[in-house]
Amino acid sequence: MKNKMLWLILCTFWLVSCSDNKSPQWTFKEQIQLNDISPIGIASDGKNLWLSDPDKNRVVKTDLKGKILEEIPNLQRPMHIEFSKGKLFVPEYLTDTIPIIENGRRSFLPLSSKLNAPASIAVDGNTILIADFYNHRIILKKGDKETIIGKEGHNQGELYYPTDVAIHKDLIYVADAYNNRIQIFDKQGNSIQVIGEKDNINVATGIAVSGEQLFVTDFEGNRVLIYDLDGNLVQVLNNRFDKPADGCILDNRLYVASYFNGAITIFDKRK
Amino acid sequence: MKTTIKTTAITLVMLFATLFTTNTVNAQTTEKTYIKIVVDGLSCPFCAYGLEKNLKKLKGAKDVFISVEEGYTTFNVPKESRPTEDELKKIVKDAGFTAREISFSDKPFTKDEK
Repeated sequence: MKNKMLWLILCTFWLVSCSDNKSPQWTFKEQIQLNDISPIGIASDGKNLWLSDPDKNRVVKTDLKGKILEEIPNLQRPMHIEFSKGKLFVPEYLTDTIPIIENGRRSFLPLSSKLNAPASIAVDGNTILIADFYNHRIILKKGDKETIIGKEGHNQGELYYPTDVAIHKDLIYVADAYNNRIQIFDKQGNSIQVIGEKDNINVATGIAVSGEQLFVTDFEGNRVLIYDLDGNLVQVLNNRFDKPADGCILDNRLYVASYFNGAITIFDKRK
Repeated sequence: MKTTIKTTAITLVMLFATLFTTNTVNAQTTEKTYIKIVVDGLSCPFCAYGLEKNLKKLKGAKDVFISVEEGYTTFNVPKESRPTEDELKKIVKDAGFTAREISFSDKPFTKDEK
């Protein structure tokens, strides 16, 4: 009897463990063809989408169906943007500056580090991260203090043309684009994990991190790879992308922006 | 007499018109050097805009155009600031690419030539 009870407890524990570890899957919902937008970056303000359109030197706000609601012109090649607490942060690739746009007013992020083609920005409270593309590094700014993460190279801890950066639970996720991988750093700048090296990523351009998963746009491979936060590949999406450049999550939906065909592809989460 | 004056005036007007037209044509075709670079691997917009950024640093560079899909760039510079092939190759290399073919012209490249 005791043995049977023990087996029952073990089996129940195993079943619960399995169901807890099951990573969500994503199913194709629809593709929205944008009106003359070639998006590189996508962000959400919680209600609508913001898209950078560097070919036209602008950022646009659209509703969730892709209808343009607002346009911010005269931005010099805006790349992977971020929306945080009513402010839009725009890495301007050509001017090496980060304009911050709030209620139509423009200010600039003060930086002591000299950027060379900022490709992405991530904001979490007073922590700001910038992917500094041609300097092959990440700038971590906290208050007035700036820390450099990474240097040019191909080994762990080194970066080669980083194009996107995200922060989640005190960890820094970097799209290490031309090393064809994702690298995770702590806030002291130590590389603690490399993801995707065996998955034949062909330019890891954009990343997004949700509570339980990491999304990677494979620009040349026309795929989106989804990992759990331990770095295990759990799903690959191949749906009609044409140079997917970035993604964001809003209300259990994944929005993927494709640069060449100017489209947003939407996926629904299911357990 | 009247006829002679009229004829002379018409001749002068035509002469000035011819001179002016010739100068204008010369100005269009000789003041600038038009440059086209075919670039290997130019498919990523991050690198393409990086190339654009570096080309814009060239003295007098204007109308920098990059075709990511077709893999080339065109732009123009004042004739006196024409860069050498080696300078252009270095700019392309610094942006992360290899220049496969560099062409110079006194006239803008047509769409077919692009």
